[in-house]
Amino acid sequence: MPVLSFPSIQLMGITVKELIADSDLQAKGMKMISERVDSLASVSMMDLSVEAEAFGSTIKFSDDEVPTVTGALITSEEEAKNLVVPPVGTGRTSLYIDAIEKACKLITDRPVFAGVIGPFSLAGRLMDVTEAMIYCYTEPDMVHVIMEKVTGFLIEYIKAYKNIGANGVVMAEPLTGMLSPDLAATFSEPYVKKIVDAVQDDEFIVVYHNCGNNTIKMIDSILATGSAAYHFGDAISMSEMLTHIPKGTLAMGNVSPSAQFKGGTVESVKAETKRIMSECCSYDNFVISSGCDIPPTSSWENIDAFFEAVNEFYAEK
Amino acid sequence: MSVLQEISTLLQQGRAPKVKELVSQAIEEGLSPTQILEEGLLAGMGIIGQKFRNNEVFVPEVLIAARAMNAGVEILKPYLVSEGVEPKGTVVLGTVKGDLHDIGKNLVKMMLEGKGLNVIDLGVDVPPEAFVEKAKEVNAQIICCSALLTTTMGEMKTVVEKFKEAGIRDQVKIMVGGAPVTQSFCESIGADAYTPTLQAAQM
Repeated sequence: MPVLSFPSIQLMGITVKELIADSDLQAKGMKMISERVDSLASVSMMDLSVEAEAFGSTIKFSDDEVPTVTGALITSEEEAKNLVVPPVGTGRTSLYIDAIEKACKLITDRPVFAGVIGPFSLAGRLMDVTEAMIYCYTEPDMVHVIMEKVTGFLIEYIKAYKNIGANGVVMAEPLTGMLSPDLAATFSEPYVKKIVDAVQDDEFIVVYHNCGNNTIKMIDSILATGSAAYHFGDAISMSEMLTHIPKGTLAMGNVSPSAQFKGGTVESVKAETKRIMSECCSYDNFVISSGCDIPPTSSWENIDAFFEAVNEFYAEK
Repeated sequence: MSVLQEISTLLQQGRAPKVKELVSQAIEEGLSPTQILEEGLLAGMGIIGQKFRNNEVFVPEVLIAARAMNAGVEILKPYLVSEGVEPKGTVVLGTVKGDLHDIGKNLVKMMLEGKGLNVIDLGVDVPPEAFVEKAKEVNAQIICCSALLTTTMGEMKTVVEKFKEAGIRDQVKIMVGGAPVTQSFCESIGADAYTPTLQAAQM
């Protein structure tokens, strides 16, 4: 189940800027991908700027890259207390909800997952990600004020996806992956858990994504969130991570998006995919995936090679 | 515990105000600025760097320690200048044109400062020419280029070419890093070193 959405721009001959501005194109792109690849689910984009934009952050857009949040919206506890939680629908959130609603109607042979940002990663973008990590020590009360607000927003945002028929969300918390286990337990875990408790049920799951390099050290905190499945990046050993995941809890990862899907060759993508599978497929709860969102301009030869490798692996067994 | 050991300990804890206070105290007690810098501030940062390499501390702890170090260095600066103390070298660092990501760059900057280097941070979205101009201005020995996007890492090649055009390519070592960067990419663009990790950047 790779996080495969942005490369649809190549199939449609459009730019990233055009994709993120059009719900029809987003749904069409997800449908085209579902027709081309045999993935476990259809996963929407990891655009980590949508929610911050709704709060008022400045966003830099480009033709070929995922949008980026710039600057800091909040620099003091007073500003945190005065931060207004936007209603769901603000900015591009309504467009993205619309896109998933359309995708759910087009894609009926597999689950459809929306992409949302996790609470600490969102709070970090509102404070500036470097400053956010410092504020955890110097201004913890301010961080908690922001965490409560972003969590409230994310709960309502995810419920909106649930209401229009999505089967779940992939919630990206990469900034937490840079924290110590103690800070993750304080500033991410309880808020992610609050979101999971509010939205997850038998019909709608949260897939927790964290591609940080400290996820093994903080795995207890990550698992305490109660997410239905976990998705990890290529900075860690997937086989080592699996020794920490309870049987019956799905764990996914972790072919490198930059080194393989974008920068690799057909041969290297296949080799790496099969290497990970040979180390991890003895675990029934493992699902082979990319380590993170596959970059928009990754070659489709490499993406196809990933799926070919999966088929070849099982054929050779 | 000596005042220098206290400075080191409090720096590791990220206690910037206390570090400033103790650096001032150490100066009043007659300790040499060089000794305060090396046995207090850099010693503490060295321990943090080692702990980071060992995964005993993480990015936030490095950030607050670096802030504490910089707070102490600001107090020491005028004294170091009057003593004629010079940094071990000068680095020009930045995130390349078109890229706004800066965590990795900020961390590398802090760790290199923790090694006693003078680091000029050009910020983000830095045109290739700016690396060259600043390098000439400050007589830099090391150039550090960071990129997080696959579409911006190509600017690193332009940086290398600009240094060649300026005739000073041989006077600098160019280090490249960032999530999409690889050793083979580094070699293909003619850079001198690829730093896959923060620890590698320090070496």
